[in-house]
Amino acid sequence: MPFDTLLVSIVGVPVLGSFFLPLAGRIHERLRHFLAFVLVAFSFLAVFRLSPVVFSGQVVRFSMAMPFGLHLAFAADGLAVFMALASLLVGLVIVLYSFDYISHYANRNEYDMLVVLFLGSMMGIVFSSNLIFLYIFWEMTAIVSWRLIGFFRGKTDVQRADKAFLVTFGGALVMLIGFLMLYQQTGSFDLTVIKEHFKTQAFPNIVLVLVLFGILSKSATLPFHTWLADAGVAPSPVTALLHAAVLVKIGVYVFARLFVATFPIEAVWHVILPWVAAVSSIVSAGAALRETDLKRIIAYSTVSQIGFIFFGLSLGIEVAVAGGLLYILMHGMAKAGLFLCAGIIEQGTKTKDITRLGGLFSTMPLTGTAFLFCAASVMGLPPFGGFFSKFLIFLGCVQGGQMMFAFVFLFAALMTILYLLRVFTIVFFGETKIAAREGSAVMVACVLLLAFLSLAAGIWVRYPLDMVQQATAQMIRVIS
Amino acid sequence: MLSLMILIPLACLLLISFLPLKGKRVAFAVVMALAFFQIYAVFSPSIMANRHLPGLASVFNFTLAVDSLSRIMLLCIGIVIFIALLAAGPFVKEEDKRFYFSGLMILELMGLNGVVMVRDIFSMYVFWEVAAAASFVLIALEKKRDPLEGAFKYLIFSSVATVFVLSAIAIILLISGSTSFTDIRVALLVTPHSNLIILAVGVFLAGLFMKAGVMPFHGYLPDAYASAPAPVSILLAGVVTKTLGVYTAMRIVIDIFGFSTALKSILLCIGLISAIFGALAAMGQKDLKRLLAYSSISQVGYIFLGFGCGTPLGIAAAIFHIFNHTVFKSLLFVNAAAVEDRLGTLDMGRMSGLASRMPITGTTSVLASLSLSGVPPLAGFWSKLFIILALWQSGLYGVAVTAVLTSLLTLAYMLLLQRRVFFGTPEKNMAGVVEAGFNLTLPAVILAILIAGVGLFFPYVVHTVIFPVVSF
Repeated sequence: MPFDTLLVSIVGVPVLGSFFLPLAGRIHERLRHFLAFVLVAFSFLAVFRLSPVVFSGQVVRFSMAMPFGLHLAFAADGLAVFMALASLLVGLVIVLYSFDYISHYANRNEYDMLVVLFLGSMMGIVFSSNLIFLYIFWEMTAIVSWRLIGFFRGKTDVQRADKAFLVTFGGALVMLIGFLMLYQQTGSFDLTVIKEHFKTQAFPNIVLVLVLFGILSKSATLPFHTWLADAGVAPSPVTALLHAAVLVKIGVYVFARLFVATFPIEAVWHVILPWVAAVSSIVSAGAALRETDLKRIIAYSTVSQIGFIFFGLSLGIEVAVAGGLLYILMHGMAKAGLFLCAGIIEQGTKTKDITRLGGLFSTMPLTGTAFLFCAASVMGLPPFGGFFSKFLIFLGCVQGGQMMFAFVFLFAALMTILYLLRVFTIVFFGETKIAAREGSAVMVACVLLLAFLSLAAGIWVRYPLDMVQQATAQMIRVIS
Repeated sequence: MLSLMILIPLACLLLISFLPLKGKRVAFAVVMALAFFQIYAVFSPSIMANRHLPGLASVFNFTLAVDSLSRIMLLCIGIVIFIALLAAGPFVKEEDKRFYFSGLMILELMGLNGVVMVRDIFSMYVFWEVAAAASFVLIALEKKRDPLEGAFKYLIFSSVATVFVLSAIAIILLISGSTSFTDIRVALLVTPHSNLIILAVGVFLAGLFMKAGVMPFHGYLPDAYASAPAPVSILLAGVVTKTLGVYTAMRIVIDIFGFSTALKSILLCIGLISAIFGALAAMGQKDLKRLLAYSSISQVGYIFLGFGCGTPLGIAAAIFHIFNHTVFKSLLFVNAAAVEDRLGTLDMGRMSGLASRMPITGTTSVLASLSLSGVPPLAGFWSKLFIILALWQSGLYGVAVTAVLTSLLTLAYMLLLQRRVFFGTPEKNMAGVVEAGFNLTLPAVILAILIAGVGLFFPYVVHTVIFPVVSF
């Protein structure tokens, strides 16, 4: 297949294919599962197929003409391919895990359709090089997450789903105004055209601020972070998908795409934005220390870790940017693992309140081990993958002479270790309050796989690091 | 051949009136066939050709013409009449009532077609009244207290609007001495700034605003929509107020008065007020159909915002939004009809989690709600985007930003509707509810396909249907 067709099919196959899943589900449950897995696996393999070409420095493009400069345009560069690989890898494991997790709830047809549609739209965001299509796919993920958060259909579930939808939709609308301003100045929504335009003039700060509204609301960064913790009412694989691996990374990805890879921003933002990230990171880490709901703790931890990523990307130093990108992958795998473990614990014990849990390690040794591994990666202990990403960000901090930031983030990292250890000891050690058995084989295999990947990514860190370096080099070169 | 669009309905109306009682059962089928004919005619170049039928000039002396704007309206009218007829089954049951209903629908069709096609201000007024009179009776079809009250309010407001429009026509006749659009346009150009003309424009528009039901002239609209029988609400919200109010305003401004700065700011101002306060009022409603009625007010506000730009893009966007609004609002009223049919109530407090009991109604309502809120990639997003682009290009940044943020309000009340009615766990009193019958799910599915189709194939739609509108 020519590369441009392949690029379109990465987005098109899961997006269009997802609508056939409810039909397949009417024939047989297994058929639907199989088809869902195949659709996501297809995208993954297609991205994998693209990666050697892209990482050799080429950019694969596809474009289709439409009126008003709304060209449907996709472009695959190092950043996009890396992001796609990271989200699809985690997405695949989550789809597998869902088969067992979801098997005894209603609306399973809708569930599989939405998950695949979500991953497809995510690919749309990652590869779009036209701002309007970026926005369209962005909102498609919002629609899907609205339905998924309210999946259990309870009163609070639906209220919180509405909250998440309204917050992200509002942010995205403000971002759309920013895009319109760019359109007004340049007469195009195409990123390549806009980029040419701003090579000679300064990028308007007002647009940056407007687009940041969208980014911060989607990535659940302070002050738009509360929807994320509330969205924990969703099924666990969904929280893993939305909160850990994919949805919240959309914001930081778009930040990297627009303000690191495409437009130069003024130096002052390299100070302001890290501060926003730092405050977000520390405040939410504090919240994670206080919460007693297992999924809310992990959700706040996500807010805190997103702060790290945002911090790395916004420092404007090459090593830190590379660290931020690597963080997206490492955090995605480890945090998805934590959410999936939480799902197993929740289904086994029927509670998410950690004060009512304890001593689970004796009955759930595999889940416990997986939880420990993933937590270690999030904490940033060597030799787990999370260590390298945190280390690169600190390295960037020191290289840029921002010692102040380095200390703030060391403090946040310390808090990460504190709250994760707290959760781990309360849930897995001590006296057994609710006896629970290990989850189903597929579910446990999935969390073990993620735990193993978190460890393996640290031991063989060379491979992801290579990709990240290529992607960063491409981004930075493009700018200067 | 354009006169066929009026003469054929007229002939059918006479025909079914003279049929013996048994034959009156076919009345429904006749209206359905007329609606089909209309949809076919819009796409048939030979019927749309501006040619006179031979020998007719002596008895049927109207100047008829269609451009792309009229054709889109004709298409909307055809679609909505068809959908309303399909949905009428469970609501208009008695044989004689069905006959009256069909007759009135034909009258409505004729009136609306006339308004859309005539190029003569007095004939326009006549057809305008034909359509309005048919609507009064249709609203009061159930002779109960609420429908009669709704119809009465509509009647009163319409009479005031009529007085306004008639006085404006009188003034215009005074100045130009003719009623044809082209003559008036030429005559008004002689002294474009005379106070008399400004008065005529103002009074005319005030009448049309009342008919369109924009804020603050909206008093009758929620009552009329909410108390009318379900198929009539579909008709009213889908085309009647849009044709009698919005289309007529567009027609006379484009063809006769032309855009002036003052006119533009009036349109924008009315549009903005309607869009915002309509959305806010919708949030406070407890009755499903009233919520939809306020949402109509808000969406008409958007249409006026696009139109008020006065640029080709703005006008095209406004037309596009009229079409999209017709589709998604008809769909929502069909959904409301399905819910009313199964539950016997429209009180949202007594509904919960209906999507699991009525999957087709639930799914199609999600599509319509999202399209109405302007969430991509559905049809409503594109027309709103074009409206906002048009505002932006005209340099009205503040208005554009407000319009964008009003989308958030729109989404908020649509999510409220979804949460109360469809999305959630069904309570005990919902136990026996099943999906509505075929004649309510079929129109819902047709309209949902239209929404998704127009959204996904928007470049094609925009090029072939919407753009030609502004090429005159």
